[in-house]
Amino acid sequence: MPRKIRFKLNGRAVSTDVMPHETIVDMLTQHFDLTGARESCGQGLCGCCTVHVDEKPVSGCLSLAWFLDGANVRTIEGLADGDNLDPVQQAFIETGAFQCGFCTPGFIMMTKKLIEQHPKPTDDEIRHYLTGNLCRCSAYPEIIEAVKLAASRVGLRN
Amino acid sequence: MPAAPFPERERIDARDKVLGATAYAADIPLPGLLYAMMVPATTPKGRVETVAVEGAMQVRGVVRVLTAFDFPALPGPPPTPATEIAYRGQPVALVVAETLEAAIEGAEAVRATYAGQAFVPLIDSPGAARELVQPKKAGNAQAAMAGAATTIEASYVSPAQHHNPMEMLSTTAVWRDGKLTIYEGTQSASLVRANVAIALHLDPAVVEVKSAQVGGAFGQKIPLQRQTPIVALAAILIGRPVKLVLPRAQIFHNAVFRPKSRHQVALGADAGGKLTAIRYDADHQQSRKGTLEPGYHESPPRMYGVADYDGTAAHVRIDTQDPGAMRAPYPHPAQFAFESAVDELAHKLGRDPVAFRLAHQATTDPISGNPLSSCFLNDCLTEGARRFGWERRPIAQGAMVEPDGTLVGWGVAAGGYPANVSPTIATLRVSADGRTRFAVAGHEMGQGIRTVIAQLLQRELDVDPARLEIAIGDTAAAPQHTTASSRGTVSVGAAVTAAAAKMRAAMAELIGQRSIAGNIHRQLATVRRPFLQVEVSTLGPGQDAGALDRLRAGARAAAGPEYPQFTSFSYIAHFVEVRVEPSTRRVRVPRVVSIADCGRVVSPRTAASQVRGGVVWAIGAALREETEVDPRFGGWLNADLADYVVPVNADIGDIDVGFVDRPDPLFNAVGSKGLGEVAMVGAAAAIANAVFHATGTRVRKMPLRIEDLL
Ligand code: FES
Ligand code: FES
Repeated sequence: MPRKIRFKLNGRAVSTDVMPHETIVDMLTQHFDLTGARESCGQGLCGCCTVHVDEKPVSGCLSLAWFLDGANVRTIEGLADGDNLDPVQQAFIETGAFQCGFCTPGFIMMTKKLIEQHPKPTDDEIRHYLTGNLCRCSAYPEIIEAVKLAASRVGLRN
Repeated sequence: MPAAPFPERERIDARDKVLGATAYAADIPLPGLLYAMMVPATTPKGRVETVAVEGAMQVRGVVRVLTAFDFPALPGPPPTPATEIAYRGQPVALVVAETLEAAIEGAEAVRATYAGQAFVPLIDSPGAARELVQPKKAGNAQAAMAGAATTIEASYVSPAQHHNPMEMLSTTAVWRDGKLTIYEGTQSASLVRANVAIALHLDPAVVEVKSAQVGGAFGQKIPLQRQTPIVALAAILIGRPVKLVLPRAQIFHNAVFRPKSRHQVALGADAGGKLTAIRYDADHQQSRKGTLEPGYHESPPRMYGVADYDGTAAHVRIDTQDPGAMRAPYPHPAQFAFESAVDELAHKLGRDPVAFRLAHQATTDPISGNPLSSCFLNDCLTEGARRFGWERRPIAQGAMVEPDGTLVGWGVAAGGYPANVSPTIATLRVSADGRTRFAVAGHEMGQGIRTVIAQLLQRELDVDPARLEIAIGDTAAAPQHTTASSRGTVSVGAAVTAAAAKMRAAMAELIGQRSIAGNIHRQLATVRRPFLQVEVSTLGPGQDAGALDRLRAGARAAAGPEYPQFTSFSYIAHFVEVRVEPSTRRVRVPRVVSIADCGRVVSPRTAASQVRGGVVWAIGAALREETEVDPRFGGWLNADLADYVVPVNADIGDIDVGFVDRPDPLFNAVGSKGLGEVAMVGAAAAIANAVFHATGTRVRKMPLRIEDLL
C-alpha cells in the first residue's frame, strides 16, 4: 500500500505517495523529475546518488523514501540560488573537476558536508572524506583542487 | 595554420554538469514509459529448452515478456535473445512492465530450462582453441637476435577488466509513426542504427539513434550493445516507449570487456648497447565467435626505431561473452610488457633507463617503411626527467629507504598510440539572430569534444559562443563515426577547418566589396540574410569517397595509423614514484609526471584532464583491477563495484602533466594527433619499473598485488 509523505524538497513543501520499496532516487526521478542524484552501483559505494536528508549526506539508492515524512531534503538541483551558483559548484567549474559529469552531483553534495566539517581541509582529509565517491573518468586531482578552492571561498564569506 | 597554441577555457557544458542538469540517455522523460528487465541465462553454455513466462505475466503491472521466439531469425549469433547460450548471463527474456519494480519481480519469475554443454572457462583450460592471425614482421629479427650481444626474454600478463563507467548501460526505445528512436549512451550512434536495422529487419532510414551525453564510455559503448535491439523490438511490439537500465552485474556479463592477454617478449642489443631485435608473441582471451583482433603490435615497433621486428598474435577461444576495446586496448597491455622488458634490458646493460630510451629516437616505421609524421618522444622524456628530478635517482634498487622502512622507487616508461582519423560530413549554419549550429560526428563521453569544437570554431569564425549549438551523437544531425581511438579531436578539427573556410568564402561572396561592421551574425543581419549554411565533408590522408559511404552506412570508416606517405603516432613518457609500505607491502603512487606529444593541444584544460584520468586508469590497472572468471560456473566472480576495485581519491597523489605541444602539420592542418588513449599507455609499466627499483622484485603481471612483494 502506498503512503503519503510530506517533506521539504529544496526548500519547498511537497507531498507524494510512495511505496514501501521506493528508494529516494526512484522517488526523485519518478515523482519530481529530478535526475541529478543517479544510481550507479546501487550498493552505497559510489556516491552518485548522494542527497542531504536533514543536513546529513545519504545514499539515495539505499535509503527508502517511506521514511522521509517530515524530513528536509536537499538535492543538487536545490543548491544554486537562482542564477547564483553555490561556491562548491563554482569551484568545480573553475577547476574543471569532471569529465562526463555523471559523478559530479554526488561529489558536490558530499563536498558541501566536507567543508562544513573541515573548513580548512588538508589534501589527506579531502582524499579520505571523498573515498565513498567514485569517478571513473578519474577527475580526482581536479576534484581536490575544487574542494580547496571552495573551502577557501566559503571560509572568506563566514 | 598550423595553429598557434590554444587558450585555456572552461568547458562549455560545465554549468549543466554542476547543476545536475545534464541529461544522460536514461534521464530523458517520456510519457507512457514502460520499464524493462532482462532475464539472464543461468548456464554458461547450452541450449534453451523451455522458457516459462506465465509466472511473470501474473505479476501485477507486467505487460509482456519477450523471448527468443519473438525475434526474427538471423544467420550467425543474433544480438537478440537466442536459444543457443554462449555465455552465462546472456539474455534469455525481457520482461516489460508499468513499473521498474514489477519488471524486476517479473524477471525473477521467468523460468528457463537448459540442455547444458561442457564449457571452457579459462584460456589455459583444456579445450581453449588457439587461432593465429597474420604476423607483423619487419627486417630479419631472427638474425638480429642471433647476433645480439645481450638479450633478455620474459613473459607478462594483463588481466581481464571491465570498463565500469559510472553511467550504467541503458536503452530507451520509442516507436512512433513508423519510426524508431533509440536513446542510449553509445560511442557509435550510426553503427547502432545500422545494426539494429539488421537485427530487426528494418530499413535504417526509419531508425534514429541519439546519444547526446554519455556518462563515461572508455570503449564499452563502441559495439552494438546486447540489449539494444531487444528493447527496440519491445517498444515496437507494445507500441509504447520502453526503458531498460541494466543492473551492474548484468553489465559485467553482457558488455564487452578487456580480454586477458599474455605477452612473451625477447629483446636483443648489440655490443654497443643498442636495441637491435624485438621478438614479441601475444595472445588474448576471445569468445568463440568474437572479432576483436589481437592487435598488440601497434605501438612496440614504433617506439625506438628498431628495424628488425618479429611479432605473432593469436586468439585463444573459450566460452565467454565477446571481449572488446577498453581504453588503449592494445598499447596498454603491450606497452606494459614491452616497456617492462626495455627496463629489464637497460638494467642488464647497466644503463640508466631514460638515457637508454633517449638513445633510440625513432624516425621511421619499420612495418610500413614510411617515415613517422612526427615523434617527439625524446622531448617528453627530457622534459619529464627534468620536472621529476630524475638525475637524483640512484641506479641501484632498494637504495631509497625512509626511516620507517618504506621503500621508495622511481620508474620510467613510454607509450605510443596510433593517430587515427575518421572522415566527416558536417553542416554549419550561422544565423543573423546570433545562433550558430554545427552538426558533425562525435560523441560527448566526458572527454570534452563539444569544448574542443567550440574552441576551434571560435578561432576560425567570429560566432557568438553563448548561442552555439553543437549537434553531435545524433544520427539525425550527421552521420556518426565511432568516437574512439582518440580520433575525435583530429576528425572534428578537420571538419571545423573545412566548414569555416567554406563559410568565410560564402560570406565574402555575399558581402562582396562592402565593408560591414560587427561579427558574422551582425553582418548577416545587415545584408538581410536570415542565415547561411554550408555542408562539408572531409577525408583522412589517402582516403577516397568510399570512406564517406562507409561513414553513412555506420561501417568502419576511420584511417590510421599507416597512411600512404607516413605513419602517425602520439607519444608519452611517464615518470613514477612508488612507496612500498614496510609492514603491509602496499604500493602507493604519490607522484607522477607525464609529458605527452599529441601534436597541437586544442583544449588545454580537457587535455590535461584526459592525461590525469589516463594515469589514474593505469594506477588502477597496475595495482587493483581484475575481473575474475568463475571456473566452476563460468561468468564473472566479482561483478560489482564492491569487488571490482577501481581507484578512489585516496589512491591518487600528485600528477603533473605537460605537453610538448608541437604541431604535426603532415598529419592535419590543426596539427593535432589524439590524446585520450595514449595518456594511459606505458604508465602501468612505469609503476612496475618503479616497484622493481624500490624492491628489486620484478612483477610481470597486472595487477601487482601485495603478495607479489612479500
Ligand atoms: S548508487 Fe548509491 S552509492 Fe552508488
Ligand atoms: S566525471 Fe565521469 S565519473 Fe566523474
